[in-house]
Amino acid sequence: MMKKGVYLLTSLLIVGSMLVTACSNNSNDGGSSSGTAQTEQGTKDTAASSDAGGTSALTEPYTAADLSKLPDVAKQRTDTIIVALTDPSGAFTPYFTQSGYDGNVNSLLFGSLVTVDDKGLPVPDLAEKWDISEDQKTITYHLRKDLKFSDGSPMTADDVAFTWTILFDPSYDGDSIIPSTIAIQGAQDYKSGKAKSISGIKVVDPQTISVTLDKPNATALVTLGSNILSKAYYGKDYKFGNLSYIKNLHQTPVGNGPYKLEKFIPGQEVRFVANENYYKGKPKTEHFIYKTSEGDAWQYLETGEIDYTSFPATTENIEKLKSLGFTNILPYTASNYGYLQVNLEHEALKDKKVRQAIAYGLDRQSIYVDANEGAGAVANIPAPPISWAYTEDGINPYKFDSEKAKQLLDEAGWKVGAGGIREKDGKKLTIHYLGSKSKQTDIFIPVAKENFQAIGVDFQPEVFADFNSLVSKVESGDYDLVSFSTPLLQDPSDGVMQFIDGEIKAYDNPKVKELYDKALATSDIEERKAVYKELFQLLNDELPVIFTNYKKTVYGYNGRIENLKVSPFVGLANSLPDWSLKPVQ
Amino acid sequence: MGTYLTKRIIYMIVILFAASFLIFSLYALTPGDFISSNIKLSPERKAELREIYGLSKPLLERYGIWMNNVFHGDFGFSLAQQQPVLKLFNQYIWNSFLLAVVSTFLTWVIAVIIGVVSAYKQYSWFDTIVMVAIFAAMSIPSFFIGLFLIKILAVDLKWLPPGGMLTTGSNATGWAYIKEVIHHMTLPVIVMTLLGVGSLTRYFRSNMIDVIKQDYIRTARAKGLKEDKVLFRHALRNALLPAITLVGFELPALFGGSIIIEKIFNWPGIGQLYMQSFSLRDYPLLMGFTMLLAILTVIGTLLSDVLYHIADPRVRLH
Repeated sequence: MMKKGVYLLTSLLIVGSMLVTACSNNSNDGGSSSGTAQTEQGTKDTAASSDAGGTSALTEPYTAADLSKLPDVAKQRTDTIIVALTDPSGAFTPYFTQSGYDGNVNSLLFGSLVTVDDKGLPVPDLAEKWDISEDQKTITYHLRKDLKFSDGSPMTADDVAFTWTILFDPSYDGDSIIPSTIAIQGAQDYKSGKAKSISGIKVVDPQTISVTLDKPNATALVTLGSNILSKAYYGKDYKFGNLSYIKNLHQTPVGNGPYKLEKFIPGQEVRFVANENYYKGKPKTEHFIYKTSEGDAWQYLETGEIDYTSFPATTENIEKLKSLGFTNILPYTASNYGYLQVNLEHEALKDKKVRQAIAYGLDRQSIYVDANEGAGAVANIPAPPISWAYTEDGINPYKFDSEKAKQLLDEAGWKVGAGGIREKDGKKLTIHYLGSKSKQTDIFIPVAKENFQAIGVDFQPEVFADFNSLVSKVESGDYDLVSFSTPLLQDPSDGVMQFIDGEIKAYDNPKVKELYDKALATSDIEERKAVYKELFQLLNDELPVIFTNYKKTVYGYNGRIENLKVSPFVGLANSLPDWSLKPVQ
Repeated sequence: MGTYLTKRIIYMIVILFAASFLIFSLYALTPGDFISSNIKLSPERKAELREIYGLSKPLLERYGIWMNNVFHGDFGFSLAQQQPVLKLFNQYIWNSFLLAVVSTFLTWVIAVIIGVVSAYKQYSWFDTIVMVAIFAAMSIPSFFIGLFLIKILAVDLKWLPPGGMLTTGSNATGWAYIKEVIHHMTLPVIVMTLLGVGSLTRYFRSNMIDVIKQDYIRTARAKGLKEDKVLFRHALRNALLPAITLVGFELPALFGGSIIIEKIFNWPGIGQLYMQSFSLRDYPLLMGFTMLLAILTVIGTLLSDVLYHIADPRVRLH
């Protein structure tokens, strides 16, 4: 019986992965099916899938084998680097940008007071240092000397105070998390019009500014230490309760980052030119372009029209990048995690044992890693492996184990009834699953159906082509499990926020809240690490959501680019000023 | 004619009102709004933003506000793009229009020529080959043929650029700019023409076949007119008449953009923008664009009716 199940599963998986390969061939190859190239591709695929033991094929950066294969278009560029970006929309004012792609543009136009390193730890940027008071409530930023905006005007503490203040204006309609998560003293009085300014923000001298919070918050240093807007430029027409004038400045940004906006061509390009006023000195490459690439970026990389883009870290993609000869490859894990949100308002799922049974009973390794040709990893805690808070100590990996799942369901009182489906008090154990239409969902459903059947759970999937419809179905409460993924996370607290702010309905654990607050009450990293470890262990045991996966990506880029680094938290912004094009013969 | 036009224009206004209400309700009732898909925001901040954006007001009030603004020439402000909707239309529609107008022109010219010839030589080997080719072209999905041509012509042979409208980073102006755009639009225009030419050719062919069998064609031949005169003066003119109906439909299509083609070829057109806005629930843009198409459709039908009258005196307008 057991054996048969395994056989079925394996064959299903093989078929599944073949389908995936077929799919990706179709969409990635730019028209694939022609002549010899196809047969070559075919043999490579078979080789790849036979050794798909789980882990991604590439863990170390790979250097281009043969730069002479570089297309002429790319060879002829001497002072310009071109990077693919899905779709910048043209609103280039930090905090007012609605699209994440505009955020990418902003990160080159504007510097931050404080940025983070590859582990997510704060490091100086426009501020050369900072102090945090004994009670952890007051942060004082010390700006570098002689900072300038791209128009040559000086940048001072007044600009910082202005930037923070407008985020608490009642008409502020952007999606910054500062107004809702950082409680600056007196900010609410300002927002309601009771005070003329925010009492917690104090300009000490032109290079020093301090901010006092209602209660300690370890994320405030980095969150408040973000992009700074020029008061002289963005605050010229500011009146309390009216920020609409800023909309007219979206396409003429004045920043303090490594690059200045040269030209925005809607739907096509964002052109940048090096900022001679940048505090670290003018970037090494004079021009930089974000090219809008809605469709597939392969064709642009192959023809040399772009220098840098990312792909899922499948064995197939990695092989293809290597075969181009002129690309360097950089492996990368995104700083977020995927999870199955569980409807905790449903009787069966309120029981921790049932949730654990699902975690054991789902073959996450097959679904998220093997079927993706290694472009993923299994997640068990709400933090990505690249974070400083990540730990596997005392974390239950919930290794795929149908027997264990069955045992837990038995303990929870769900007994096998007619047709092999478990029942309790006359009710069948049914899982109504929601997923958005994607390749990953296409893999998930058949495997999960098999997995759930094996443990006696009736699995009913429903797929949505449109994300909003899915969200409103979730809001209506008509679901048991739904696939989600968090946005990119910076601080470890970002990943656990959803368990305390009411987003996961009906989850209310005072211990989680206590640990969450405790971890934010100090900025000592070692102390915080210890608290997060405890918190992650707790969440890993309770499973308010079922943690599923991390995504692995590879960057393929023109081998001529030197000094390229990508931070999982801030992308290419920090290392871009150092990128240079080495001459090619 | 004058009274006819006034009557028609009154009808048009009524239809547009009904359409605006339908469009508004359709988008207002689709589940989710611009804010609900932003997973970064806390529930309280979401409520606050809905208040600021006016999404928490009752539906009828929102409709009233929208219509009032439209009458003042203000189609609203795109939530996702953070720019006035009309400015966005202006930035993107003309790119779509350029592709559509060139490919429509080519489609019609090719379809008329092939349609006439194959009707004239009905059941000949030429006719058969053309018919088979046309069915093949019609049944290949656009994304396949698009990607296939990119692979062959752009990636392997490097004759044409793989997408976009300009060479990245190009500062070309004047003639050089025009040449660059033509170079970039060749591939998408080929694909759009290939896909469109099939049905139109069939349409003209069957019209032509009907007309050729008419008595007046026989009369014309009997009078001793040259064959090309018979074909192009007498037959073709009449065969083209029913195509005027199509003109009405072409008008919105010229401005509507093509979602798939624009996506494959990375063309900065309105179709792409519309598709993104839909998944983001950017209502002002969605409603504005759908309304624009409704207006163009209504104008298109009026235009084809009037053209009918001009082209064929037998058609009376009441």
